[in-house]
Parts: sequence; structure tokens; C-alpha cells
Amino acid sequence: MVGSRPIFVVLACRAVADQADFEADAMQFAPQLYTAAMRMARNPADAEDLVQETFLKAYRAYHSFEAGTNLKAWLYRILTNTYINKYRRAARRPSEVDLGEVEDMYLYRRVSSSQALDASQSAEDLFLDGLVEADIKQAVERLPEHFRLPVLLADLEGFSYKQIAEILEVPIGTVMSRLHRGRKALEKALWEYARVRGLVDSNGVEDE
Amino acid sequence: MNRNCDDALANLYAYLDRELDDSTTAAIRGHLADCPPCEHAFGFEDRLKSVIRERLSVEIPNEFLERLREALRSGRL
Repeated sequence: MVGSRPIFVVLACRAVADQADFEADAMQFAPQLYTAAMRMARNPADAEDLVQETFLKAYRAYHSFEAGTNLKAWLYRILTNTYINKYRRAARRPSEVDLGEVEDMYLYRRVSSSQALDASQSAEDLFLDGLVEADIKQAVERLPEHFRLPVLLADLEGFSYKQIAEILEVPIGTVMSRLHRGRKALEKALWEYARVRGLVDSNGVEDE
Repeated sequence: MNRNCDDALANLYAYLDRELDDSTTAAIRGHLADCPPCEHAFGFEDRLKSVIRERLSVEIPNEFLERLREALRSGRL
């Protein structure tokens, strides 16, 4: 190990320099990471723990971050891994949503064929304007893990399929199919909430 | 619904996610310009995506942000 000493010194110096930049580089992503953490962990206390742990790990590993690559994606990878490891038991609990076959454009087909309750607006506008934050959050939070994470990474963060595949460490085809099925499950849940809230008049809209 | 509609709808998410190559994107854009029902459906899905993104975001508590920043500065993280 004698021969490794000079290398260690060089690495240590570089790490110190990198870590000095860490706050300036990484803190800008804290608000976004917090939103993602809230949707993963589902409550503020766990979300704060998750973000804090993510920053701790990222800070310690910052010397291994390859400058010029996507820092945001790197942070999300740490966040996602931390979440999965920490809540693995909870993540495995059975799905709370019915994930039977849902057809494409489940929501659009139903909303567009429902009657607008207010003639001055289309049924689609009424539906989209009336979607309540709490319902969307609950619909997302009830998605099973393997659907929720791709949906969050794509719809909330706008990551590409390739980036999501890297963050979740699964093949890109898996990302696409989970995203597809996750979105359909989400649409189905949103339709149910809208019916309960009377956002849509679903009389005459076919039900399976 | 014709074959062009089926082709467009099969690529709905990939189109909205900007994951298609230029020629497929152009073909779908062309179809949407000519086909009001598809244009309407795509528009709805696109707006739904934005609505979900907007309404899912939460403010990071200032107090937590400060704590995080402080921990980084003092090396206590």
C-alpha cells in the first residue's frame, strides 16, 4: 500500500476542492429534491430525512461525481436509492390501486364523453381546472413503487427515459412500460376522484 | 380513426415526452395539424401532464433549507 500514498494525497486534495463547490453546485436542486422526496416518503419529516441523507451521501461522494455529467440526475439517483433502501419494507406492501388492464387514453375518453356541467366551459377544461391538489397527490402516492418512481421522474422532473433508466438502474424498455402503466393507473384514479367530487357528470359514460 | 390516428396514438406518450426521432415527431405533428380529434386528445394529455406537475410541487420549508445550508457550511452534515 506504500505506492498508493501519493495518489491518496492527490485524491484528497481534489476531494477538498470539489467539496468546497458542493454547496454552490448542489443546493440549487434542494427544492426540487424536496418535492420528489415528499411524493416518495409521503410526509414532511421523512422527506426531510431523505433529503438530508441524500445531501450527506452526495457531499461525501462528490469527488466521485464526474464533472460535466448531469448533476441533477446524479442527485436523484442517490435520492432514489436512499429511498428504496430505507423504505424497502414499506415499498413492498401490496398495491392499493387496482392495476387491471386499463385502456389507452382512459381519462380522455371518459372526460370528453361526459356532459359539461357548466355550458360555458368544455368538460375537459372543467375537469383539468377542477383537479384538486390533494387528489393528485393521493393518486400518485397510492401508485405502487415501481410505477410511482418512473412517473415522478418523468412527469415531475422531466427526465428522459434514458436518464430514468440510469437513475433506477433498470433497462429503458422497463422504464417505458412502467411509465405507461403507471400513467394509466393514475388516470384511472383521477377519474374516480373527479366522479366523487362531481367534477364530471359520468352518466352515460361507460364503465367497465 | 384511421391508420394515421392509430400510429399517432401509439406514440402519444413518447411524443409528449419528446422521446421520438425527428422524422416520427414531424409525421405526428403533421397528422395533428390535419386531424382535430387527435389534436384534441393530445392537447388534453399534454395539459394533464402540466397540471399534474404544477399541482404536485411543494415548497421546501425555509427553516429546513437553512438547516441544510448551515450543516453544509459548518461541515456538520
